[in-house]
Amino acid sequence: MVTFNDAVAEFFGVEEFSPLVEFAVALVGAVIVGSIILTIVGVSAVWFKRKLNARLGDRIAVNRVGPAGLFIMPADALKLLSKEVVVPEGVDRASYLLAPILAAAAVIAAFAFIPFGSGLQVADPETGLIFALAFASLGAIPIVMAGYSSKNKYSFLGFEREVAQAIAYEIPLVVSALAIVPLVAYFGDTDTPLRMSEIVAAQQGPLLGIEGLPVPNWFLFAQPIAAALFFVAILAEFSRNPFDLPEAGSELVAGYLTEYGGVNFVLLFLAEFAAIFFGGALFTALFLGGGSGPFLPAAVWFLIKMFAFYVVVQWLRATVPRVRIDQLLSLGWKYMLELTFLNLLLTAGVLWVVL
Amino acid sequence: MSVVTRRHEEIQEKIENELPDAILDIEEHQNAPAIVANPSRVDDVVRVLKENGYNHLSSVSAVEYENRYESVYHLRRITDDREDFDEINVVAHADRDEPAVQTVSNVFKGANWHEREAYDLMGVRYDDHPDMRRILLPETWNGHPLREEYDVDQPQYTTLEAHANPIEERYEVDEDESALDTMFINIGPHHPATHGVLHLKTVLDGEVVVDVEPDIGYLHRCEEYLCERLNYKYQIMPYPDRWDYISAGMINEMSYARCIEELADIDVPEYAQVIRTLAQELSRIASHMLAVGTFALDLYGELNVIFMYAFKDREIVQEILEDLSGQRLMFNYLRLGGVSYDLPEPREEWFEKIRDFTEELPEKMKEYRTLLEGNELLMKRAEGTGILEPEVAKEYGCTGPILRGSGVGYDVREVDPYSYYDELDWDVVTKDGCDNLSRVQVRLGEVEQSARIVEQCVDILEDWDGEQEIQSRVPRSVSPPAGTENYTAVEGAKGELGIHIVSDGTEQPHRLKIRSPCFSNLSAFSELAEGEYLADMIATLGSLDLVFGEVDR
Repeated sequence: MVTFNDAVAEFFGVEEFSPLVEFAVALVGAVIVGSIILTIVGVSAVWFKRKLNARLGDRIAVNRVGPAGLFIMPADALKLLSKEVVVPEGVDRASYLLAPILAAAAVIAAFAFIPFGSGLQVADPETGLIFALAFASLGAIPIVMAGYSSKNKYSFLGFEREVAQAIAYEIPLVVSALAIVPLVAYFGDTDTPLRMSEIVAAQQGPLLGIEGLPVPNWFLFAQPIAAALFFVAILAEFSRNPFDLPEAGSELVAGYLTEYGGVNFVLLFLAEFAAIFFGGALFTALFLGGGSGPFLPAAVWFLIKMFAFYVVVQWLRATVPRVRIDQLLSLGWKYMLELTFLNLLLTAGVLWVVL
Repeated sequence: MSVVTRRHEEIQEKIENELPDAILDIEEHQNAPAIVANPSRVDDVVRVLKENGYNHLSSVSAVEYENRYESVYHLRRITDDREDFDEINVVAHADRDEPAVQTVSNVFKGANWHEREAYDLMGVRYDDHPDMRRILLPETWNGHPLREEYDVDQPQYTTLEAHANPIEERYEVDEDESALDTMFINIGPHHPATHGVLHLKTVLDGEVVVDVEPDIGYLHRCEEYLCERLNYKYQIMPYPDRWDYISAGMINEMSYARCIEELADIDVPEYAQVIRTLAQELSRIASHMLAVGTFALDLYGELNVIFMYAFKDREIVQEILEDLSGQRLMFNYLRLGGVSYDLPEPREEWFEKIRDFTEELPEKMKEYRTLLEGNELLMKRAEGTGILEPEVAKEYGCTGPILRGSGVGYDVREVDPYSYYDELDWDVVTKDGCDNLSRVQVRLGEVEQSARIVEQCVDILEDWDGEQEIQSRVPRSVSPPAGTENYTAVEGAKGELGIHIVSDGTEQPHRLKIRSPCFSNLSAFSELAEGEYLADMIATLGSLDLVFGEVDR
């Protein structure tokens, strides 16, 4: 509905910006979104993750550096950034060095389409959902580059797994997301149901449009099967437990990350964690009503929901073991694919009957 | 005893009938009679023994004498009937200058590694052995270190060429098409899931393991060599702690103590026997806890609850053992003829500590079972993977929870009792699953059984009203008669931990061979892993519960 540029224009009472100003304002918006994301990722990847996992596993984790170990964040950052960039012999240099940058760039750019609410959305194209899903899939390419260029057999196995996994879960991811589009068109009464802001707008109001129902019309409640399938698909797409096969600590050392260190490692690591938050943002926008919620501003609610998603992902990490590659693929091709299409047909059928 | 000797006579007759020229002589070893076999027919003799029920080859050890080398085979009967247990030894003499004996690896597959070790350390060649290479030492090593003539100061020069590309010569890819689809990958020696320094030369077809060959010896510390140069009475005892260094030290010490006490005819007071039993079972609990925890660690690849809980419970046991012996891991607690200290004072407090642990244990075991068996994804990974059929397990000489996880109830504590086990009430745990899950379940069950034994020992010690004698009178110099030898085993945390001592009448053993359970269990690894997925191979490795201090010694 309102992108960052619209919100700024409204604030200044201007009808339309000149193209140059438009670009400058958009840049400011992008910097704001980017900083928020990087801050959250920084805090959660280095400190919060360790604390949370430790609590789940009956441990204490960092507690020596600063209060509650908080200063581990600058300490870790300093350590990693001050390391020598070691490029192993025989790697495909261009691809090896480009992969981390591409990985981080792709996933942070993807946040442009996320409707944080409170006017915090950098871009809101008509095909926003498709763009967002495309960016979600883009994350596999830097992993392939990193794994293939590293000239390491563990990296090689890691990226092979990533390819198999990404292909198997691409279709379920997209199709399960598509199942909500007819609902957006129906509840939001719009011609552009793929627009991210429209998707969020359609989820306001009571469940299924029934007046007086205390439950909001979040698609988590209106489309629970799609929500569950989307959740599983997003875990697999971003290689989170129990689908973290490309990295597979105990089997492949560190998978595609094996040969990376210092800054390059930081970038890949950052991309990995930003991807979880991107998954959380997608899930929030598609199924948790975006920024809807009482009292607090929409953007804050959005970030809370996004963070809750992250907590759930970390919780899974502590409780379920990794599946095997054949189990992963058979789940993807034999169950997820069929179920997502069935759900889409069911949705269409129900709407056809109702209308 | 009479039953056993009759059986020995029968088997001797049988062999003499079937193989007229195979038996040269009958010797008497401390543990059982030894058939001196014709070195070129030794495989036939062992085959006849195997056909007649001696279905477990414990160990092969090579011994050097002034005028000859000997290759000694220790065979055992494993059946469901406890009374049926029996041992027999086979000895093959080999020439002094060019020692060579016929291999038995075509009878028992497990002999393969044992014979390679004998060749490596003592230089006895085994004819027709499929793979007569060194196993513990580098392939470029000069000399055989356990020989009398071996000069330890001799520098080991290795030319650069010999190590230029070690992989190239070790694994040659066939030029046919099937080889082009596979990938050779070195897993280890440094890898998160190898639990130490194991090198797995693996050939993968996609994600499926086509071929895997464990390469060991990275942690070889010459334990046998060291023991052969130390005195029986005090000097050897600290070394067993370093074999299986992960908290099973008490059992290791018992394995040495049992062998030499039988050989030198040393009595152990009953009071000390109970303490020994108590200490061993506590060690077993600590070791099994770690095994369960690390198995979960291999499946998750993350620090998880199962591992942390197991480690915490192990810590309690470790503290109890620390109170007892004054040390956390390297206990050095047992002595010939008893133990080194009496129970810690105040005794009531210490007993209370153990009681608290055993009383809380059932609740904890329930939680472990829920965590393992209640987790569907974990069950999917652990069930039906790493299959080890009982026949294959016996063929390779697998023992301990590995064998019992395949449904064979062989437990040295039961069939060949030592310490105080015979007086106590406990069960052998077996599972028929033959897979990774059943091996872990056996360990969980054994923790419960060990706790039962511990409780009974505490009861006995609490009500003890006799003399609290912790050591019998042991002569100042322990020197078994020259020419005697003995092979005994105890049930280690990982399986049958055997010691073979050959005495030459001095205060130091002429030969001390360690039969490590992990060594034999690992030799079956390729059977378990081939055809499995890479991820399951790692899980299987975890379920074998290997400690490399014991594999490599």
